[in-house]
Amino acid sequence: HNEDGKANVDKKYSRDFLLKFSEQYTDLPQGFEIDADIKVLMNGNIHVSHLVDRDSD
Amino acid sequence: SSKKSTAVIQQPHPLEHSWTFWFDNPHAKSKQAIWGSSMHSIHTFATVEDFWGLYNNIHHPSKLAVGADFYCFKHKIEPKWEDPVCANGGKWTVIFPKGKSDTCWLYTLLAMIGEQFDHGDEICGAVVNVRTKQEKIALWTKNASNEAAQLSIGKQWKELLDYNETIGFIFHEDAKRDRSAKNRYTT
Repeated sequence: HNEDGKANVDKKYSRDFLLKFSEQYTDLPQGFEIDADIKVLMNGNIHVSHLVDRDSD
Repeated sequence: SSKKSTAVIQQPHPLEHSWTFWFDNPHAKSKQAIWGSSMHSIHTFATVEDFWGLYNNIHHPSKLAVGADFYCFKHKIEPKWEDPVCANGGKWTVIFPKGKSDTCWLYTLLAMIGEQFDHGDEICGAVVNVRTKQEKIALWTKNASNEAAQLSIGKQWKELLDYNETIGFIFHEDAKRDRSAKNRYTT
């Protein structure tokens, strides 16, 4: 804890820093499961590169 | 394959905490289900990259069905009054006209996962409630009785959102007893 009694946090990211990544990561994370209840939440443009980007030999 | 990849593998940016998105489906709710029974966790993320991967594929509040509740809480904290971490807590709430909360919802998420609050340890998570005439975003915190910490969070949140109206803090304990519980703090 620092002199203010607040916990020190290493991984601080400003809004501007985080926004720089917004368009670079459009694929759903590994392990994401879409069930019937979640479907209504998805925006219909689902990107799942780790599922469709496989070798087609 | 003889194709050589020239792409540089970028190191992911880890977050201070893991966070879980939760969703309460309005269609399930309309079946007179017990509160909370239609709520389920969607995915837990711990990097900046996975956050955007989820956020970019999920409807923003203006596109969610009326009745929907969408949550982002620290991993292992359930967005319920009964959760042991939330039990003694409370919430700040900001209200927007229908369809106008998208930017502030994103800014709230970024402030939480980027640890922009001086009293970030006090934060449980945030929820957006989509209703017929308005959208409400609430920031849930742990120790409602810690007035200084709650006021600091409320003030910082308003600054981050550029929100000028007065906001109120309600104790969960009061809300449990009385649906029209009064604000204990305002800023």
